[in-house]
Amino acid sequence: MNWPGFSTIANAWWLLLLIPLLVVYFLKLKRSRLEVTSLALWQSVINDQRVNSPFQKFRRNILLWLQIAILLLLVLAAMQPYLTGAAERATYLPILIDCSASMAAIDPQTGQSRLDVAKQQVTELIENQLPGQQLVLIAAHTTADQLTEFTGNRRILLDALGSLRVREVPGHLEEALRMTQALAKTVPVESAVLYSDGNFPERVRFALPFRVNYQLLPSAGSNAGITAFNARLASSRDWDVFLRVESSGDVTGQLELLHDGKAIGKQPFVLGRDESQRLTFRVESATSTSLEARLTIDRSSFDSLSCDNVAWLDLPAARPLRVFASPGLASFRHALTAMPGIDVFPRDNQLPQRSVPYDLVISDQAADESLIASVHLLVGVTPEDAAGLVEHASGLTRFLDWDRTSPLLRHVQLRDVEIADSVQPAAGINGGSFEERGYSILASGLNGPLIISKRSGSQQRFYLLFHTNRSTLEFRVAFPVLVANVAQLARQEASLGDVRSLQAGVLPPIKLKPDTEYVVTGPDRTTQQIRSDTTGEAAGITAGLAGRYFVTRDGLAELSVAANLLSTEETTLRAVDTIQFDEQSVSSSTQLLENDRPLWSTLTLLAFVGLLVEWWYFQRPSRLALARRSR
Amino acid sequence: MNESTTKPQLTPLLSNATLARVERLRLCPNRRLTNRTRGEHAVGSSGASIDFSDYRDYVAGDDIRYVDWNIFARLRRPYLKLYAHEEELHVVVLMDASSSMISEGKFERARQLAAACSTMALLGTERVSLFAGNDFGERPSMLTGCSGRPARRRVFEFLEGLEPGGDSPIDLSIAAALRRHRGRGIAIVLSDFLTTGDVSRSFNLLHSAGLEIFAVQILGPNEIAPDLTGDVRLVDCETGRTLDVSTARELVDIYHEHLTALQMHLATQCRRRNGRFESVSTDETLETILFDTLLRRGWIQ
Repeated sequence: MNWPGFSTIANAWWLLLLIPLLVVYFLKLKRSRLEVTSLALWQSVINDQRVNSPFQKFRRNILLWLQIAILLLLVLAAMQPYLTGAAERATYLPILIDCSASMAAIDPQTGQSRLDVAKQQVTELIENQLPGQQLVLIAAHTTADQLTEFTGNRRILLDALGSLRVREVPGHLEEALRMTQALAKTVPVESAVLYSDGNFPERVRFALPFRVNYQLLPSAGSNAGITAFNARLASSRDWDVFLRVESSGDVTGQLELLHDGKAIGKQPFVLGRDESQRLTFRVESATSTSLEARLTIDRSSFDSLSCDNVAWLDLPAARPLRVFASPGLASFRHALTAMPGIDVFPRDNQLPQRSVPYDLVISDQAADESLIASVHLLVGVTPEDAAGLVEHASGLTRFLDWDRTSPLLRHVQLRDVEIADSVQPAAGINGGSFEERGYSILASGLNGPLIISKRSGSQQRFYLLFHTNRSTLEFRVAFPVLVANVAQLARQEASLGDVRSLQAGVLPPIKLKPDTEYVVTGPDRTTQQIRSDTTGEAAGITAGLAGRYFVTRDGLAELSVAANLLSTEETTLRAVDTIQFDEQSVSSSTQLLENDRPLWSTLTLLAFVGLLVEWWYFQRPSRLALARRSR
Repeated sequence: MNESTTKPQLTPLLSNATLARVERLRLCPNRRLTNRTRGEHAVGSSGASIDFSDYRDYVAGDDIRYVDWNIFARLRRPYLKLYAHEEELHVVVLMDASSSMISEGKFERARQLAAACSTMALLGTERVSLFAGNDFGERPSMLTGCSGRPARRRVFEFLEGLEPGGDSPIDLSIAAALRRHRGRGIAIVLSDFLTTGDVSRSFNLLHSAGLEIFAVQILGPNEIAPDLTGDVRLVDCETGRTLDVSTARELVDIYHEHLTALQMHLATQCRRRNGRFESVSTDETLETILFDTLLRRGWIQ
């Protein structure tokens, strides 16, 4: 049995009102005067032993008892008692609501989305909010949005809850938990409530500083959707298009591919529970074009999520990779020339064109760092902002360790490479100094870093801090692999090799005219103002919904970018029962959170009923008067 | 033609129709408490009236004029012939005229009953005296020595002229009246009997004075069934004393029990002295009281 608690027990002081109540009652200040012919009978009535018996005394004071009961009920109501439930009673309670794409999944029985179910439960929590308790609503998706401040205002909380919409993005908890952690620095937060369908990575890299009450929402129906939409250049004109369709239940349907709005292929599919199917199409296009894939589910199957049934892919125009290789780097030029689909500049006996954009720049000249390209590989060049970090010294050195997962060094064996020029960090410099300046150390030698990289915006720069002609690298198998890796990286950056659909969330930086205002119109007709920087890049465009985003300037369309859901986790609607945090795990609870039941309204109602009873008791006609009236 | 339009109203206390019915009625006492003065009430066999009553043996010293000589001639023994003796009966009307009788028409009803009873007595050739007690310690208003039909006018004028008020309880009023009254007969006591005093002593006085008690308790509807709620302060209209009563509604039932007990006590006290008691409400009409209640109880005939 749960004993009731009191929110404002200080209001018990109002019980002191009993004293004036009793005093006023017994002083009978409000006694009405009534003239009677004789007091003889009344005196004998008052002297009657029954009147003076304890029970009769009680009956005589029944109005007093009623008044005392009413006062006690009102004081109890003012003390705001509540029956303890399982809900959190913290003064400051963050409520995290998952609003990733899977929360739009519909239950076939009720027709409600899981976000609707979460809203109902949170609404109940807000309605039964304890006095003095302050809630904050946080929407968790790929990132997190704080919907309200800590507030006890039910209207603000309900308005914010009502405005919550599903983001068609994969779900992640880290950002929402970090936001909660930041809020916990301003107010004491002991616990947080998470409403989610469990569709997020099981492992969350976060050290919980507070308790998490994980409310797992009921599962929805089966769903099928597109989880991958890629293309690879097969020849100078042909693209191989790959799609993956996955399902959380038995489903049949077909996938239709549209090329610039025209259907060019249709493939049926049959999927069982947690099965996937890869579908391939061949698309011929020499120019930049747009593909749209539409998934149609047969009527016999149920599809609970619609946003993953459509995906878009923008194919660039097929062209050779434009690589600027410094004439002094003959070995690089030689390796590049041997690769198909690559134009190496400057051509023989031609001067380099510095204003022409390239896809890849490989140079041993620091001046070539200013050439326009998405990928730079600078050999024997120390970046200006890292000049003070390293010192060149004479003496042999060799590679000690390197990042084998880096796209540049994948399958590159550097163990036997000897380097004539030793590179060592300056005095007092360690690895952290490079990271502070935005550099990543990809390979380290005996004395210090040998290969570092830095990404700034859409540009990726690799620095070999030693010159290859002062090492044995050019004579090793690793060298052509290294060149092939950097060329492949440049292809990916230029979308000339594999082309992947963009995921919703935040669009990658797009190239526009420098320093210009643009308007981005989303699929739901919402607009956002953006401004390109001096290099013409516009970054940070929010894309919460899957669909095509149109960039316009002065009402004229500049370009369009398509964002897609494309998430296996969201499409298969998998639910994580236990969240693995860094140091602990949190299990889900599928039972509805039982809220604390405030009792003040019930007590007030009882007091009102008591008041009515007292009024009736006081005003009721006597039996004799009724009998006389009936006569 | 309506009688009231043709005949003037003799008294505002009684309508002509009621008065006409009252004139045909007579008071019926249980006992023959009469005065020695000659009247119309036959009280024994040794009277001087013309109505034969009985015979008895002659004893020495008897007046030989009353010997029945016919019987003597037949039986050769003297027997005295006895005749009924008729004496006068005195009707005393004792009215409570204190302040407690003002409310709810009690005093008006007492005056009407006094007028009716006096009329019955006067037309029965009885002697009628009326006493009305107002203030404690003061001499009661009284009208004595009325007899015969012509005295009706005096009686009515006396009753019409009475003003209620004062604080004299009925027991003291009775005692004060008896100090000024001589004569046996009937004492008609008209009061609400809501007094803290001891009425048994007053009834003893009446009984010892040779008066048969006809006690009529006149109560108002609010005295029979008080409609009180909540906490009230009761004020005695005669003495001005107050009494605080809480949750009066709860006490009404007990009040009713006490009222019934009082009425039973009064009835017992009267019965013990060969008297009669009746409680009437001002809700009831005078005709109902006279021609239904009192007639059926044998007070009048």
